[in-house]
Amino acid sequence: MSIEVNIVKNFYRRNSQKKTEKPTFSMCCNFEVGSGFSVLFGSSGSGKTTAFRCIAGFEVPDAGTIKINGKVYFDRENKINLPPKKRKIGYMFQESSLFPHMNVHQNIEYGLKGLNSLDKKKRVDEMLSLVGIEELEFAYPKELSGGQKQKVALARALAPDPEILLLDEPFSALDTVIRLRLRNELKKIQKRLGIPIIFITHDPVEAFTLAESMVVFDNGVVRQIGSPEYVFYHPQTRYVAELVGFSNLFDDAVVEGHGQEEKCTFLWSLGTEITTPYIQRVVGDRVSWGVRPENIEILGKEMSMGVNLVQASEMSKGSPPILEKDRKNLFYGIIEEIVNKGSSRVMSMKLKESGAVVNIEVANNVFESLKIEAGDECIVKIQTSKMIVF
Amino acid sequence: MEKLKYGDLMEALQTVTTPLLLTLRIALITTFFVAVLGVGISYLLAKKDFAGKRLADALVTLPMVLPPTVTGYLLVILLGKNGAIGSRIILLTGKGILFTWQAAAIAAFVVSLPLMVKTATSAIGAVDRSLEEASSILGRSELETALYITLPLAKKGIFAGCVLSFARSVGEFGATLMVAGNIPGKTSTMALSIYNAYQTGNNELAGMLVFILVAISFLTIVATSKLAETKW
Repeated sequence: MSIEVNIVKNFYRRNSQKKTEKPTFSMCCNFEVGSGFSVLFGSSGSGKTTAFRCIAGFEVPDAGTIKINGKVYFDRENKINLPPKKRKIGYMFQESSLFPHMNVHQNIEYGLKGLNSLDKKKRVDEMLSLVGIEELEFAYPKELSGGQKQKVALARALAPDPEILLLDEPFSALDTVIRLRLRNELKKIQKRLGIPIIFITHDPVEAFTLAESMVVFDNGVVRQIGSPEYVFYHPQTRYVAELVGFSNLFDDAVVEGHGQEEKCTFLWSLGTEITTPYIQRVVGDRVSWGVRPENIEILGKEMSMGVNLVQASEMSKGSPPILEKDRKNLFYGIIEEIVNKGSSRVMSMKLKESGAVVNIEVANNVFESLKIEAGDECIVKIQTSKMIVF
Repeated sequence: MEKLKYGDLMEALQTVTTPLLLTLRIALITTFFVAVLGVGISYLLAKKDFAGKRLADALVTLPMVLPPTVTGYLLVILLGKNGAIGSRIILLTGKGILFTWQAAAIAAFVVSLPLMVKTATSAIGAVDRSLEEASSILGRSELETALYITLPLAKKGIFAGCVLSFARSVGEFGATLMVAGNIPGKTSTMALSIYNAYQTGNNELAGMLVFILVAISFLTIVATSKLAETKW
């Protein structure tokens, strides 16, 4: 099972200007995903839905090929373009797009062409029980809640036994609890049916919990493909880093040199020397670096004016003195704002040396033991191994 | 004496029923053709891109803005014995079509078609595109999608178009007068008969015909709004 997409699709302000004008948006994507769960990830307007619409046959790409399980669905050069009805694709829209004039049973039955009425009934019953909505068989879409609608839409998409399932942000309009529940159910259904599912989302949590492989879109182009773990912790471009939650990103750092034993690299950034994992760049190169907010550790608060902050942190924690080799990537600054995110607090801290602002995320139980308030001066340490440089 | 009275009554009744039945016949036949053709044209205008789309739209809409006498005049030219359509009809049937009830029906068709097309085009165009896409990805052809999804969802607009067309056909006056004349018992519709009665000072008849016309129009609107009710 594989889906190979290699297409270009241009959009113009008006169709008639096609030959003379530059396209207003150009999607040029090239990716291949296997069976299981894949996620197309990217911000709104990055071309994910356009890619989907091309795979489904709603849009005609300007160039390229689309193959599913080796079967050519689209090939511009050889003038192959299967109409949507011939592509064995299940498609779930952002809005459930249930037929409002048909009840749940009729909606699910709609795609079962060519079966006799007994087989149709059997298949509809199967789908109803698969998504767990047997009691809603004769309800009309307007009588259903958002979550129920999406379940019906899923049942309808699965009824004709598609080869792959495309889900275009199907849960984006639902509340967190329903979303979580549907996500789990979807995962179970995927395991049971074993068909490849491609899922569009711009929610990192959703991508992380569902995907086995992730395709990151930016401005119509695929920027990175890999497992969610890899993409989340090793983003290859600044854009991907930002997208997956590296809210601390700093440009214009200069490579100063490399460490021998630790295989680290020294950068000059934010008015001080920073140690990062080793990168293959020469001295003088300009680079960007970043770290996730949860990978900055608060060592402690300043005790009183005039006391060395490093000592202060040692005193406040009652911990053994910080060894010289651990004294890298220490910063101090003033906490400007604290936002409670439910299970964690996100603080923005203005660094003393450079005035740059870093975001720090700590679990709420840790935060409470730290007893920090806005306006406090703190000392923090960036976890070297979690830093990214590009 | 009795017999004479009965005959008078029948005659009086006929002055009412003849134009009434003629008008209903013309309006129903017109509405049928307007519905079939109008929905087809509306679907093309709402869903398809083709060369000359604007021109086609303008051509269909034109009778709505032209004075009925102008539409009537153009129809006389077209349907006359030397006209593009009229000459062919003579060739086929051996008879001219002008000054017949069929000509009145054609006039009613031409003037009421734009009402149908305008209403139905906007209703069909307003059907959520993703529903049609959902239908196609579920393995249905464009025709099936149109029949099972698009048209049922545009039902209200299509019904409204039918009502407007029916009402316009019932009330058609100017173009009908030009192409079908005003021949009592043959082409004199309700609207024309009211005019005749008024001209000849038969206010009683005019009043009765007006009353019936208003009643028909009113009932049509009520009945159709009931038909167009949706349960979704």
